[in-house]
Amino acid sequence: MINIEIDGKKIATESGSTVIEAAHEAGIYIPHFCYHKKLSIAANCRMCLVEVEKAPKPLPACATPVAEGMKVHTNSAQAVKAQKGVMEFLLVNHPLDCPICDQGGECELQDLAVGYGASASRYQEEKRVVLPKDIGPLVSAEEMSRCINCTRCVRFGQEIGGQMELGQAFRGEHAEIMSFLGEQVDSELSGNMIDLCPVGALTSKPFRYTARSWELSRRRSVSPHDGMGSNLAVQVKDNRVMRVLPLENEEINECWLSDKDRFSYEALSAPERLTRPMVRQDGKWQEVSWQVALEYVANGLSQISGGAGAAHIGALATPHSTLEELYLLQKLLRGIGSSNVDFRLRQSDFSMDGKQAGVPWLGMPLAEINNADRFLLVGSFLRKDHPLLASRVRQAVKHGAQANVVHSADDDLLMHVANKAIVAPDAMVDLLAQILKALATEKQASVDAAVQGVSVGSEAAAIAASLAQGKNVAVLLGNFAQQHPQAAQLQLLAQQIATLAGGKFGFLGEAANSVGGYLAQAVPGAAGLNAGAMLAAPRKAYLLLNTEVELDCHDPQQAQAAMYAADMVVALSAYKHHASDYADVLLPIAPFTETSGTFINTEGRVQSFKGTVKPLGEARPAWKVLRVLGNLLKLPGFDYDDSESVRDEALGGVAVAGKLNNGLSGITLQLPSAASSGLQRVSDVPIYAADAVVRRAASLQATHDAAVPRAVMHGEELKKLNLPPGSEVKLSQGAGSVRLNVAADDRLPLGVVRVAAGHAATAQLGAMFGTIVVEATSGSGA
Amino acid sequence: MKKIVSFFKSFLLLELLKGMSVTGRYFFAPHITVQYPDEKTPQGFRFRGLHAQRRYENGEERCIGCKLCEAVCPALAIHIEVAEREDGTRRTTRYDIDLMKCIFCGFCEESCPVDAIVETRIYEYHGEKRGDLYYTKPMLLAVGDKYEEQIAKDRAADAKYR
Repeated sequence: MINIEIDGKKIATESGSTVIEAAHEAGIYIPHFCYHKKLSIAANCRMCLVEVEKAPKPLPACATPVAEGMKVHTNSAQAVKAQKGVMEFLLVNHPLDCPICDQGGECELQDLAVGYGASASRYQEEKRVVLPKDIGPLVSAEEMSRCINCTRCVRFGQEIGGQMELGQAFRGEHAEIMSFLGEQVDSELSGNMIDLCPVGALTSKPFRYTARSWELSRRRSVSPHDGMGSNLAVQVKDNRVMRVLPLENEEINECWLSDKDRFSYEALSAPERLTRPMVRQDGKWQEVSWQVALEYVANGLSQISGGAGAAHIGALATPHSTLEELYLLQKLLRGIGSSNVDFRLRQSDFSMDGKQAGVPWLGMPLAEINNADRFLLVGSFLRKDHPLLASRVRQAVKHGAQANVVHSADDDLLMHVANKAIVAPDAMVDLLAQILKALATEKQASVDAAVQGVSVGSEAAAIAASLAQGKNVAVLLGNFAQQHPQAAQLQLLAQQIATLAGGKFGFLGEAANSVGGYLAQAVPGAAGLNAGAMLAAPRKAYLLLNTEVELDCHDPQQAQAAMYAADMVVALSAYKHHASDYADVLLPIAPFTETSGTFINTEGRVQSFKGTVKPLGEARPAWKVLRVLGNLLKLPGFDYDDSESVRDEALGGVAVAGKLNNGLSGITLQLPSAASSGLQRVSDVPIYAADAVVRRAASLQATHDAAVPRAVMHGEELKKLNLPPGSEVKLSQGAGSVRLNVAADDRLPLGVVRVAAGHAATAQLGAMFGTIVVEATSGSGA
Repeated sequence: MKKIVSFFKSFLLLELLKGMSVTGRYFFAPHITVQYPDEKTPQGFRFRGLHAQRRYENGEERCIGCKLCEAVCPALAIHIEVAEREDGTRRTTRYDIDLMKCIFCGFCEESCPVDAIVETRIYEYHGEKRGDLYYTKPMLLAVGDKYEEQIAKDRAADAKYR
């Protein structure tokens, strides 16, 4: 500890910290623009100049390390003179357009100009003009003359985003921030630059000119998208969500937010919102009252359970639904006598059901990811599936951790990857077995007999060698691995690798409530059918909660066939969607901002939130709809007054931490005998196609990440098929086929075609994994 | 003695003449009472009457939708909605003043960075049914267009004090 004195206040601070850190810790404010606690020190705005005794001139507090006995004055005549001088210089070229600036009212420059600026400018000459730039549909760089060149956005890209998309070009008065060669900013974390910008140079494009900061009320919420459960500050005006900002939570999202969490609010007022209950009568949709719609549903369900039997009723929910919704859905189904309820719609291997020791989770708190020194990332489109988690891994790698990747696609993770093994999906189990065997050899440990037979390749050996050195190993199973047809085998092997390496094993939760779904018991158990079986053997009635089967299910072909074959489909959805073709009742439910609820994130953190605005039109929170439906069906125990009592019942008063367990018993290791022939499909769920809300967020849909999917293959595969890149091909799986353009990506393994799932353009295809036929269409090929 | 004095005083009608002298003085003094509506009181250039929205000389509306007037209005009489116009500028899509709420304090005028919202010298207006005194943007602009000459003259007179 070092003792210093700031403004006469004696402070003991850690050696290595800077004056500004010590001052802020002690509650003394030092004005600053370029300094940010999460970014490196640039010291280029000079706003934080302070007087340090025995120093010949003022020093920047952000770049001055504390020294024993240092005496700092932040308010002395010299310091104030320096700060006022800097402020005058900053304002020399700053346009006086605060009235039309979106940052007006929450602008750091505006605030500090009140404290340190003169009342009028002495500058009479022309101000500099920086031309506007178009850097994509999310971030507006229309008013770059406002920029004070603090370079926070540049440093964010380099240090947190992992990708330097903005840079400072030219020098002196001509210095300006721009993207490379007029390119767009494509980072999935780009929205954070808007928060970081201390002035109005980078602002939010969707929010542009829609509201002023002082008109907005700020309400807490939790992101319904990826498994992080990022904390949100939802800003509301006139019962409408105007924008979403991060709510700082050091243990989850720090002070960041992914673009998906930040800009998805646009979908909350999308024209596709379903606002009135609708019933199909004689093939025509009619708007009806809630009473009529719910009685129709209750009658239909009682008829089917009384006739064909309750086992002919099934319920499919997305893991983006809240704990309360999932709990009441399964309670309703079990009340009628059916256990066919599932939320794991994209999963295809259910062989671990009944053999799990507890609820699968991350295996560690999120914050611990930063402390790991070796990663094994199995089957994860990490950057797109978990943008902020990827950023944590990136920070760890930057501090010396080694990332090892086993996957079927080699997307740039924007971090140094020490070793990687990119293989076709059916070779992944074998590859993990190789790593396990190699690791056992390194550790001189005994290993499962089934693994003895494999021959270890160089990639697996390198990964094993890296893991063997680790003191804090994290083996993480991504979305792709969880959706894999041999997910249980992958889990078993990954778990053994983690045990052998003395590390931790975990799942990267696909959605906001992937853990909560298990805790809500929205899984079939021994008596019921899981998501896959429910669609393979079509039921007579389906209840769909937030689900768009053609986009959310593992096998959209099969799912749609089941829907069309069913006697009754009840869709609880916030949006009008494809269900209007096959459903009989559409019930408008409230998305996350309009209902209270709970999400349990991938680390098992229970986060309850309240509604931020009233439901649109006649939409109602789904837990209330299910509660009334329970009453109409005369089921016992559906007398809840608030969502809190549903949550408390669902969690049973037991701490969630005790139920989290990745253990698996009773599954034997079985390595696949031979590789399948033909081209295999590799499916990612594009970042802005993952759930119903983001699919309708207009600005997100205008990004490059939301482009129409292409069939991507290795260049050699294309040559083999005689297809030039860019040509149109016909892709067929089972009975369905789609036409997409092909593209070459030599980082993919041979024998695979990468075709995105979850997108309307590929909804006619079959399962996310398995063989797929690629044919040239007439008019393409050579 | 007193009695005799008062006898003569009342006999000579002195009190009456005293009172009549006041009347006479005011009879010949300049008149203060204004015969409204035939006559009107003089107004200063800072008179705060009916609101108007101004335009620039080229016909472009001045208001940029910064909402400072809405924020400062102590009576919450102003309601503004803003959107980006086709040419990329920030413009109001709605600018309403509820004159029934307005207390004519002039804060809106004072807060306006572009002199768009002003209070004119007009105080003779009325509404015949509920809602007539809820002024919308076209109404305010029409007032501005009609009285721009006087408004500009008043702003010019006030300029040196601002």
